[in-house]
Amino acid sequence: MNTWKEQLAHQIPAEMGILIDTFEAQIELRKQGKLDEKVFAEQRLRKGAYGQRYDNGQRHDGVRTRELSYPSGALVKGPDTLWDAPGMQRIKIPYGGLTAEQLEALSELADEYADGILHITTRQDIQLHYVHIDDTPDLMRRLAAVGITTQEACGNSVRNITACTLAGVCHDEVFDVSPYADAMTRFLLDHDDVQDFGRKFKVAFSGCAGHACGLVKMHDLGLLAQTRELGGEIKRGFTVFVGGGLGTVPQQAKILADFVTEEELLPLAQAVSRVFARLGEKKNRNRARIKFLVNKLGIDEFRREVQEELKTVPHDERHTAYLDTLGDFAYQPAKAGLALNGAPLPDGFSDWYRTNVYHQAQGGYSAITLNTPLGDFTAMQGFQLAEIARRYVGDNIRLSVEQNIVLRWVADVDLPAIYRELREIGLADAGAGTIVDITACPGTDTCKLGIASSRGLTAELRTRLIERINLLPDAVRELKIKVSGCFNSCGQHHVADIGFFGNSRRSGNHKMPHFQVVLGGQWQENAGSYGLAVGAVPAKHIPEVLEALTNRYVAERADEEVFQTWVKNLGRKEIKAMLQPYMKLPSFDDKPEFFSDWGDSRVYTIDDIGVGECAGEVVSLFSLEITRAESAHFEALLALDDSNYPLVDQQAYKAMVLAARALVRTKYLDVGDDYGNIVNEFRSRFYDTELVYDRFAKGKFARYLFKRHDQPPTQVGEDYAHQMIDETQLFIENIHSAEQRINGVIVS
Amino acid sequence: MTIVPNRLGVKFSLKHEPALAAADIVPIFQRWIQEHRVEGMLIDVIDYKHVPEGPGVILIADEGDYAYDFGDGQIGLHYIRKRNLPGDISDALLLTFRLALRAALCLEDEAPGDIAFDFSSAKISFLDRQRYRNEQPLYAAAQAGLSAILADIYGCDVALKRAYDDPRLTFALRVSARADSVDGQQLLARLSAGAQTSKIKKINHRGTEANPTK
Repeated sequence: MNTWKEQLAHQIPAEMGILIDTFEAQIELRKQGKLDEKVFAEQRLRKGAYGQRYDNGQRHDGVRTRELSYPSGALVKGPDTLWDAPGMQRIKIPYGGLTAEQLEALSELADEYADGILHITTRQDIQLHYVHIDDTPDLMRRLAAVGITTQEACGNSVRNITACTLAGVCHDEVFDVSPYADAMTRFLLDHDDVQDFGRKFKVAFSGCAGHACGLVKMHDLGLLAQTRELGGEIKRGFTVFVGGGLGTVPQQAKILADFVTEEELLPLAQAVSRVFARLGEKKNRNRARIKFLVNKLGIDEFRREVQEELKTVPHDERHTAYLDTLGDFAYQPAKAGLALNGAPLPDGFSDWYRTNVYHQAQGGYSAITLNTPLGDFTAMQGFQLAEIARRYVGDNIRLSVEQNIVLRWVADVDLPAIYRELREIGLADAGAGTIVDITACPGTDTCKLGIASSRGLTAELRTRLIERINLLPDAVRELKIKVSGCFNSCGQHHVADIGFFGNSRRSGNHKMPHFQVVLGGQWQENAGSYGLAVGAVPAKHIPEVLEALTNRYVAERADEEVFQTWVKNLGRKEIKAMLQPYMKLPSFDDKPEFFSDWGDSRVYTIDDIGVGECAGEVVSLFSLEITRAESAHFEALLALDDSNYPLVDQQAYKAMVLAARALVRTKYLDVGDDYGNIVNEFRSRFYDTELVYDRFAKGKFARYLFKRHDQPPTQVGEDYAHQMIDETQLFIENIHSAEQRINGVIVS
Repeated sequence: MTIVPNRLGVKFSLKHEPALAAADIVPIFQRWIQEHRVEGMLIDVIDYKHVPEGPGVILIADEGDYAYDFGDGQIGLHYIRKRNLPGDISDALLLTFRLALRAALCLEDEAPGDIAFDFSSAKISFLDRQRYRNEQPLYAAAQAGLSAILADIYGCDVALKRAYDDPRLTFALRVSARADSVDGQQLLARLSAGAQTSKIKKINHRGTEANPTK
């Protein structure tokens, strides 16, 4: 019997085969103890093989934390990551483009190596969960045989390059960015100049400025299609954005170049990569994204560095060779484009047609969105969909950043028939792009960093909203909800009308899952602006909060007033007052259900992903003090609304000092009110001792306080104010977590 | 056909749709982890009940997963053995059958009368397209051998047919015991005894196990 390696030898491109063979050899070396665990971890991540929750061998089962005794014992595939623990395999799908054959291959792998589910991510990747590391080389070979790579799907390199789902069929695009995203993917993949980054690097393409699809302003490198007349000729090119990102400290990208021609695109991307590799932070991964470098240098200096670097970039024929093949990118519809012919329409078709069908720029054709709940579909659905795609659209399949599947080039006359067939396989839910189409990261389901159940909450909200979707006013139906399981923003909560991110609070001796409510983010205009947190609410109250917000929005909005404007006009103070009744923490005895997360019957804890607990209890004093810090943070938010940036700085700084004081006073009651004294005591008692260290971010959040304390700003602008607000929020969260770890008799 | 696939699944379907909601399975599986109610190194519970005809709610374990499964439009208990399969196909089937059966009986105990499995039939999935391509010639070659093993498992003649004709899908079989009814507890006792002697055939040859289905 042949192995997959032997069987697929002639179908796998040589260079991909070598990379996979090398990885397989590294697996063996690691098993034999001949390869350092950290070195192997980095190699593993660069192949997209990620860790998953509980791979540290600990899981709280609702009663106690149990050791998970895997067969390979103490063998690890990285620090604190046990060998046999199930992992996640991320699979890059450049610009979300899939063929029917590739969809089938992915479905086979979900069947044979994972849990039967394919998960679409917010970066147009596919993720398979519960994969064993030993299975990954064959999994990668089977992908390589159909032209898919997992190379650099994770790790400190160029992640999957995304692009508008409607690129090439959109009415409003300047031109189709797909071939450019494809060319950049090929050019930067495994390129020497992208191997020495301090952190990941995310690239996106957008065909227009107005829509959200490309989200270029929240990317490390964003390319916005433009044309310009040069020398009497209309030239294609791009406005280049750099240094955007969500994450813990969201930042809007800045314009690096108003216009670069298509010939200049790849050299510029290479130059940016070289500057990032050369000057970007390497030691402190929490400040290693390119946004920190752009901030540190300033955009003008960064631009100068890139221009200088461009002069050193060696000539490479690939910089422009792809331009000769742009024409090869022409799409092949499976059928001729014909209009709907008046035949009887199936039940449910009209609702689906209204929300899931986009009439392409090419007459007689439509792009249809398959609304996949929580971004999940089964292997069986994958096979069935591939068959449908072959018959109706050929290889014109795309994955979207909203975790859906889009079939393009559907002949309009076929819409009723394809709707019927999609309904048969459970992929014809209406409501794509509406409030029921909620984006969610994996959260506590599988992510090692998850604090609250983003998927559990999303499933609950989705179920409730679907029940009354037809009763919802259009203004509510069109809202975007996005949910992250922690502050890292994988669910893109910053760019939703209503966003939530997971955190936790304590009530008595128990922890309670919470979500921060983030309001007023902008999805349109390529993620044009970010929302801000207005308060943390127990997870079990979130459905009521959503209802209260949307009801009031409908009741009070002015004509055509969008949610963002309504939020801004209402003001944070009023919004906070609206949330206040939901923010109260019930006791465990009164409402035990509040101490379990959505979709999880266990009593809530995150101790199995963090460090252990120890004795001591100063609950009421800490709660009192931390509330003062949160109030100051809220004052800072109000000041931000008023564009009073100096006041933002003062209040945010005050909030951080008060939060530090709250923690210091659990050990040293007489610390007093002097800021310098508080910071010194905090530093020596909690930072130098690493007691305040977050497991993953280490001392990053504490350093926000030290930075502000040691180096007060000389100028306070809007960007600084936003950053200060975000950093203060994270610092307060860090203090909450630290207090729970250090002082609490936490029983859950 | 004696080759053991990488993964092997056995699913027993319910006789009728239960009153118990799929959401109620989550706390049941969580409790099974606490109480170690089923075999294996139990890890976590994952909820996919939002996916139509999907794996429903899965109790993830190191060696194999237990799913309250909705695949093929049939609710059932699907056990997929992922690792440490015995090197002999009859042992592998015996093991997978036994663990699926045991979990199904545990689930019946959670809602007596409401959760009721039809143990006279099962779906067997060979999740390994390299060794088991879902094609008629393979089925023809494997049918007799697999029928004999499954007859030994059930202790009676069985009928076998392919679950899917589509060659892209998993090689999967539907097995039906040629018996009026199959009692789950008796079948489990039989399989457990078989597991102790490694080969169920040995039981028959020794004649120490009454056939519960005849």
